[in-house]
Order: sequence, then C-alpha cells, then structure tokens
Amino acid sequence: PSKWTSWYWFVMIVLAVQIVAYLLITNSFQ
Amino acid sequence: MNSIDWIILFVTLALIVTYGTIKGRGSKNIDGYLLGNNSLPWWNVCLSIMATQASAITFLSTPGQAYEDGMRFLQFYFGLPLAMVILSVTAVPLYHRLKVYTAYEYLESRFDLKTRSLAAFLFLMLRGLSVGITIYAPSLILSTMLDWNINLTTIFIGSLVMIYTVSGGTKAVSMTQKYQLTIIMVGMIIAGLTAFYKLPKNISFTEAFQLAGVMGKLNLVDISFDLTERYNIWSGLIGGLFLFMSYFGADQSQVGRYLGGKSVGESRLGLLFNGLLKVPMQFIILYIGILVFVFYQFHQAPVFHNQSLKDKAMQTEYAGAITALESEYDKVFTKKRNEAESLVDAIRKDDPILIEQGRKSMEIIQGTEKEIRSKVKEQIAVAIPGSNTLDKDYVFITFVMAYLPHGLIGLLMAVVFMAAMSSTASELNALASTTTVDIYKRSIKKDGDDYHYVKSSKWFTAGWAIFGMMFASIANQAENLIQFVNIVGSIFYGTILGIFLSAFYLKYIKSNAIFIAAIIAEGVILYCYFFTKVAFLLYNIIGCLLVVLLGFIFQYIENQNTKKASR
Repeated sequence: PSKWTSWYWFVMIVLAVQIVAYLLITNSFQ
Repeated sequence: MNSIDWIILFVTLALIVTYGTIKGRGSKNIDGYLLGNNSLPWWNVCLSIMATQASAITFLSTPGQAYEDGMRFLQFYFGLPLAMVILSVTAVPLYHRLKVYTAYEYLESRFDLKTRSLAAFLFLMLRGLSVGITIYAPSLILSTMLDWNINLTTIFIGSLVMIYTVSGGTKAVSMTQKYQLTIIMVGMIIAGLTAFYKLPKNISFTEAFQLAGVMGKLNLVDISFDLTERYNIWSGLIGGLFLFMSYFGADQSQVGRYLGGKSVGESRLGLLFNGLLKVPMQFIILYIGILVFVFYQFHQAPVFHNQSLKDKAMQTEYAGAITALESEYDKVFTKKRNEAESLVDAIRKDDPILIEQGRKSMEIIQGTEKEIRSKVKEQIAVAIPGSNTLDKDYVFITFVMAYLPHGLIGLLMAVVFMAAMSSTASELNALASTTTVDIYKRSIKKDGDDYHYVKSSKWFTAGWAIFGMMFASIANQAENLIQFVNIVGSIFYGTILGIFLSAFYLKYIKSNAIFIAAIIAEGVILYCYFFTKVAFLLYNIIGCLLVVLLGFIFQYIENQNTKKASR
C-alpha cells in the first residue's frame, strides 16, 4: 500500500531528540 | 505609541486587508470559495495551519506564562507531532479521496445523515462560541494598552477580518495567513532580541540562559506521572495527542486549511512540517518570556503589569497604600540587582557553592517580591471591585511598550492584530463552510446553483462574524462566561473525536450505535462539567473512549436483535 514512512519516522525522531535535549537541560539545573 | 507607531500599525493592517481582498477575488464557484480550488502548496498549508492555531493570546500570554511559571508549558505540545503523523496516514488521504468540503461530510458516507448533522452541530456550538472569545481576548488587552473603547476594538478587529473573509473565502484566508505569520514571528524575535541586548553589556547569551536555569525557569520536562497535572510529559503526550487529533482531524477550522492543499502529498507535508516546527516555535515564544524575565533581574519591573488598571486604582483612596508598597518593591529591586550580578559572577567562575548561595538568596528576594505584588493586587481588587488582577497577559506587551524603540512598538501592536485576525479568519471561514455544506445545502435548500451557495456562504460568514462580535461584547460583562468558553472545546471535542476515530478505524460500529453512543457520551461530559471536579483535560479522553465503548456495546446489542429477528 512506503514513500511516506521515512517522513513519519523523521517527525517522530525529531520530537524524541527534542524531548531528550529538553530533559537534559532540565536536569542540568536540578 | 507615537505617530510612527500608528502609521506602521495602520499601514500593516491596510496592506493585509487589501492583499486578502485582491487575492480572494475570482472565487466565483463553491469550490473556489470554500476550497480555494485546491491550489495551496505544502508550505502555505503549513503556515496556514500554524497561523490558525496561534491566536493573539498565544503571543501575549505565553511569554507571560514563562515569565511567571517557567517553560513547562512547552510539554503541552509534545503530543502534536504524533497527531500529525496519525492524521497524515488516515484523515488526509480519506478526505481528499472523497473530495469533501468539510470533515463532517465524510461522516454521512461512513455513517448517515443524523451522525453528520450531530457532529456539525457540536462543532458549530463550540466554534461559534469560541470565535467571540478569539476576538474578545486580544481586544481587551489592546483596548487597555491603546486606551480604546473595548466594544469598538472588538468591532474594529471583527470588521477587518470580515472584509476579506466574506469577499474572498478560503483563498483570501490562506493567502493572508502566510504574511500574517511572517510578520508575527519577525516581530516576536525582534522583541526577544531587544530584551537580550538591553541586558548589562557583560552578560552573554549563555550566561543569561544559565541565570534563568539556576532560577528554576528552564523546567522544560517533568517526568512524574500525574495525569491531572496539566504540564508533565505524560499529559502532554497522551492528553495532547487526543486534543490535537480532535483539533486537527475533526475541527473544520483546521481541516479547512489542509483540504485546500493541491494534493494528498502537499496537504500531508503541510501537516508534517507543522509537527516539525510547532514545538520549536513554542520554545522560541516561551524563551522570549524568559529573556524578559532575565531583563527584569537588572531593570526595575513594574509592581503590577496592567498599568491602566493600576492608574485607575491610584485615583482612589487606596493610592497611598499602593505607593507605599511600590517604594518597598523598589528597595527590594536594588538588592535583587546586586544579587543577580554576583550570581552571574558565580556562574562565570563556575563555583557550585557560590551559585547555590546566590540561588538561595535570589529565591528569598523573589518570595518577598511575590508577597509585595500580591498585596498590591489585593489593594487594586478592593479599590476597583470586580476588576481582574491577573496581570500575566500584560507582562510581555507592557515590556514592549516600555522598552522597544518607536516603530517597533507599532510593529508589535500589528503582530497582536495579525494573530487575532488570522485565527478569527479561519474560524469564521470554517463556521460558514459547515453551515453552508452540512446544514443549509444538505437539509434546507438542496437544489440551489453554485452562485446561490457562494452567496449564502458569504452571508453565513458575515453572520457568524456579527454573532462573534456580539458575543464578545456580552463576554465583557461576564467573567464566568469567558471561563466557560475557554473549556468549551474540552466539553465537545471528546465526543466529536470518538465519532471520527470510530469512523476511521472501527468498521464494526454502524450509524445507529454511534449516534446513540455520542448523545450519551456528551450527556456524561456535561454531567462531569456541572457536578464533578474531573480535570478538563481528561474530558477529551473520557468523551472519546465512552463513544467508542458504547458504540461497540450498542452495535453488539443491535446485531443480536437482528439475528433474533431473522430467525
């Protein structure tokens, strides 16, 4: 029913990377 | 505001309205008027979606929220990219294939007319009420800052939007939004940079960032599990996913934006880029609030940010008490600035003991400041009975008026107008599309020609705009009405989402079962609102799950009855 799957993964990976970065910032000040 | 500011403000407004009116010309048939002839490329779809979601309150209130509460509000948007992916897989190809004008039209082909009409009715209820507040909320702040009459401000914003949305339809809305969002983001970033450049010369960008972090403002992610707490990663991911699925998948204000895409691919890419850009955009807006916070560690902050309300209180017998509190506040500030400077020194030396000491003494000073501020608020509340002493929404705009150079003040005022107009335009356009396509053309006058439906869409757009302006002037009299409208989305969204999710994924559930399930679920949500203390963010999830669960049960009963009858 391919071409778009990489786009979907890309959006989710960008979100995950952001959350990890924000978590690191938060923890660095605690 | 001086004459340069007024010129910039009015020229910007005039250009946008003229551009929208010219670009929208030629929408002679219903395809052109409601779908813009499917002519939008993906980047315009993306900008339209973002401009629709970001209302004036987003830009006024979000920096103020960060100023007071830190950046944890960002977590609210974590579910959005996931919702974009799910909708790209399901809703976009489906809506395009069926060539629908509205999301609710699809429900008739999947269920039946009564389910379509119910969903359209729920949408018209929630969006019709909230369009008034979309106009009212920025009008309240603008009328205070510009010293205009509140009702005239409401009529001014409503009329500006009406000019190009009535004449040009969807195309005019989408074409203006790309420029509106550009002006908004340029203005906001200039304001943030101004706050940074006005810091003492020896403080670098990194040091400002660290100072904010040490003072607890960079609380970006909270991983503790508590679904009733609005801002943690779980309610952001789960609650946000449900909320944004309903907002982007079942709310015509958003569906109308990506239905105008050239193809499935362009619409899909528009949504996905919204998923990529939305969280960083909110980060920037929140960080602007943080820069204003850091700025006010070295410059005297107003003791109360809604200057106009404070001035009114100063005309009463409470003026003496407020002045005394204000001079106390000034004394605390001198101490605070010295502490902030030594804290920056400690950060520079990277000395953890000194940093901890500095943080503690800043915490004590902040506590004292907060105490004085709440006393001032108490005095103002007594001096002006019935006044709203919540001044978070005024933090950013008061900073702009006091510290930005002339010309830029006018630009930032234009930003607030642009944001109010871009959201209102999408909402009016969606209300008119739904009224025309799902109610008028489907159930009232089925045999009109194209010209007739374009004309009636224009009348419905104008009608909803006038309704919104009238509702805004009533809202001015009733604070609790505003509270109600702010959560009205939560009251209706869950049910609408439940209907759509069943339509997309649960082929087992048919029309009668879903209709009864939706009515009962809506009743339960209204019961929760009036008689329980369930958190509003949970309404979406409860409503949605109830529709699906009850839909299954009723369908099962119906199937059993059919089997019995056929024996």
